[in-house]
Amino acid sequence: MNDPVVRVRDLRKVYRVNERQTGFGATVTSLFRRKFKEVPAVGGITFDIAPGEIVGFLGPNGAGKTTTLKMLSGLLYPTSGEAIVNGDIPWRRRDEFLKTITLLMGNRSQLVWDIPAADSFLVLKEIYTIPDAQYGATLDELTALLELEPLLHKPVRGLSLGERMKVEFAAGLLHSPRIAFLDEPTLGLDVSMQARIRAFVAEYNRRSGATILLTSHYMDDVVALCRRVIVIHHGVLLYDGALADLAERMAPYKRISVTLTTASSARDLSSYGEVASRDEYHATLHVPRREAPERTARLVRELGDGLADISVEDPPIEEVIDKVFTSERPLEAVPA
Amino acid sequence: MIRYLRMFRMFALSELQFELEYRLNFIFVLLEMVLVVGTSVGAVLIMFAHTTNLNGWTLPQMLVLIGVFYLIQGGNALLFEPSFQRLMEHVRLGTLDYHLLKPVNTQFIVSVRHMRVVRIPDVLLGFIVMGVGLAQLGARVGPLDALLFALALLCGLALVYSLLLVLVTLSFWFVRVENLLTIFWAFTDAGRFPVDLYPGWLRFTLSTVVPIGIAVTAPSQAIASKIGPVEVALLAAGTVVAFTVASAFWRLGLRNYTGASA
Repeated sequence: MNDPVVRVRDLRKVYRVNERQTGFGATVTSLFRRKFKEVPAVGGITFDIAPGEIVGFLGPNGAGKTTTLKMLSGLLYPTSGEAIVNGDIPWRRRDEFLKTITLLMGNRSQLVWDIPAADSFLVLKEIYTIPDAQYGATLDELTALLELEPLLHKPVRGLSLGERMKVEFAAGLLHSPRIAFLDEPTLGLDVSMQARIRAFVAEYNRRSGATILLTSHYMDDVVALCRRVIVIHHGVLLYDGALADLAERMAPYKRISVTLTTASSARDLSSYGEVASRDEYHATLHVPRREAPERTARLVRELGDGLADISVEDPPIEEVIDKVFTSERPLEAVPA
Repeated sequence: MIRYLRMFRMFALSELQFELEYRLNFIFVLLEMVLVVGTSVGAVLIMFAHTTNLNGWTLPQMLVLIGVFYLIQGGNALLFEPSFQRLMEHVRLGTLDYHLLKPVNTQFIVSVRHMRVVRIPDVLLGFIVMGVGLAQLGARVGPLDALLFALALLCGLALVYSLLLVLVTLSFWFVRVENLLTIFWAFTDAGRFPVDLYPGWLRFTLSTVVPIGIAVTAPSQAIASKIGPVEVALLAAGTVVAFTVASAFWRLGLRNYTGASA
């Protein structure tokens, strides 16, 4: 493994929030005497990311994903712990460091609404002191990859949500950062636009070699892009390793779907595996991973003509992740 | 430094392009300004129809003062106010993060990122009214007076900027401070008259807490040779202090925002 570009050691963040009772009287009181409650957002996480990796950051709302990204991009001071990103301590916010990163937030826009994106890009060029030649080349490449040509000269407010996200991507990547933190980049986009953004991220990573740390609610994003995932819940790291292994470890079963030719709900299938769902024609069975081939063969043999269709697959990743979140105990990390 | 000037130029160009999209609006703003300046000049003319001297201030001197007032107010509305308005919005929406991620001094970018170039006529009208006043004075503006005037004007702008910065920094703690700015602008209007016309307590307020009085009166006095290098030097020293304090307060607010103090 190369030297990590992101090195995180026991990073913690505790928010102090103003605790207020409901009601007018309490509101007035709180103006003068505030009670603070400590809310741990990130509770000591440790991981490394190698150059060029695409890592998926998974967790339910409030798990601490965004807080972690904000600390790694220098927006927040941690309560304790260490982080080195591109050889620098992020929250010192040195100009040299800021030039090497970008943070894209799917729910927040950095472009000025009233003017065309092309004009905002020129401002960014000046802010990042991008040389003319490099700026031209980068913009051309991004324009081609994201099909921006028709969008650049319209005021941003006139663009659709998906178009705007494409332009936001270009704005965030103009200065060719070495690391991109993407916080829910496909939020609210329709399926085909999600797919295009995904394809872009994969292609960009391949071409530029930039490291990408991505959070998303959409499992498809993670499955399509990330070989490695980091799962956090309640600020605790639950899993860090290959996506494929996560499925294997969390769901040590395969799913066999059976379609029968005749309505035979009476037929007992429990001898083949755990019956997860059943109606007149269909059944879904969960069987231990290793025994899947043998059980499938038996089903085909013994059901004979009564079998119309049969398929064997891994359980959907959502189900696996859901299991991780409900188990709430850290799994042993598996090297990616 | 050159880098910051280049950025400043780009901010201005980008805003200019934006305003040019709305040419009709530009005409309305111009019309509005002619009316506003016209009425305040008119009010002074009416006053001076009954007297020739307002606590030591003559009509031409008053015109110079009104001119400077619009120079300062227009300069502010042109340079800082639009950016500060956006800053408060950014704090509320969380988009300030994008400014913090830029490899640039954050105070610089939140202060001048957005300009309102339609306010250039305010500044021009200010110059015209001031010019008329000076012509009537028959005053020969010597090079020293002109220099002191420029310096005092710069100080005036910086003083008002510093106060604005302190006010918007409060939004880190209280999020919504628009009304505080409204109060500020109400006070600013008082700057239309020389600060020494007001009773003691108000004069004190307008010179210190809301230094608009000083900011407007001092340049007018400088160009009319009412104050000299010593006073202007004092003003400059005070301005440096105010700017330093305001910047420190801004950094404190920013630290609070990023959780550095937690």
